Amino acid sequence: MDMNEEKSGARKLRCDDTSKCFELLESILDGELGNPGKEVLKEKLAKCQPCFEHFHLEQAIREVLKNKCTKQAVPQELAKTIREKIQEAK
Amino acid sequence: MSEVQRRKYSQEEKNSIFDGEFMPHIDSMYNFAYRLTFDEDDAKDLVQDTYLKSYRFINSFEQGTNAKAWLFRILKNSFINEYRKKSKQPAKVDYQEVETYYNSDDVDFQGTTDLRAESVKDMLGDEISNALNSLAVDFRTVIILCDLEGFTYEEMAKILDIPIGTVRSRLHRARNLLKEKLKGYAQHMGYKTDEEE
Ligand SMILES: [Zn+2]
Repeated sequence: MDMNEEKSGARKLRCDDTSKCFELLESILDGELGNPGKEVLKEKLAKCQPCFEHFHLEQAIREVLKNKCTKQAVPQELAKTIREKIQEAK
Repeated sequence: MSEVQRRKYSQEEKNSIFDGEFMPHIDSMYNFAYRLTFDEDDAKDLVQDTYLKSYRFINSFEQGTNAKAWLFRILKNSFINEYRKKSKQPAKVDYQEVETYYNSDDVDFQGTTDLRAESVKDMLGDEISNALNSLAVDFRTVIILCDLEGFTYEEMAKILDIPIGTVRSRLHRARNLLKEKLKGYAQHMGYKTDEEE
């Protein structure tokens, strides 16, 4: 499947505590752990197959949310209306 | 985010803060408002209200702090306090109820075998958007703030007036619910799932 294939044989197929593991992975993906997070991540992904798969799914979801959830176009006159209202209020 | 009026800005400073630090966020603000209300006019009103308030209370904004987070907090409060009351939407459950309801472990997403990263990547923007929009407003909100707008947990805690731990757990549940929706789409659209292999 990818370069990790030969290593994946050594991975645990079951995760001891999916909830806790997944929450940790999610925090790392959200950038909450900073650089130390990357080390923890490498270790986790190498050791645990469910975590490895979960990580890729989570990453894909963040990616599509960020890139494919189109932003609603701002109505053209909105900024102008706001400035006018503020002038009135001054 | 302090409500305390620390100092007064001169008229010139006010204008420069408003133009330089507040107005550049109008796109994100409108997008957030639209995803909360699903209505163009309501979204416009909400953004306009927020900007008028931001100007009125500009002295409680501390220059150099995160203007976007400050504005989002005002918008979210306006939405809850004013807009939600006169909303055309059916009444939504409030935070407390949502939190309790989903506080059981059985909502935890059951493994990844039935939703694959590849199928998610193949989905269209509309499908992702619809899945997000179908979540209850409190769950939708944390995903918008985190994934679409890139706020940190700490900033989200301030915007939503909830502890960081609650941000984390609400986000976790929101993503699980989103995955359930996406799984539904994936099956419906005939994307490849493990079961078919
Ligand atoms: Zn694990």
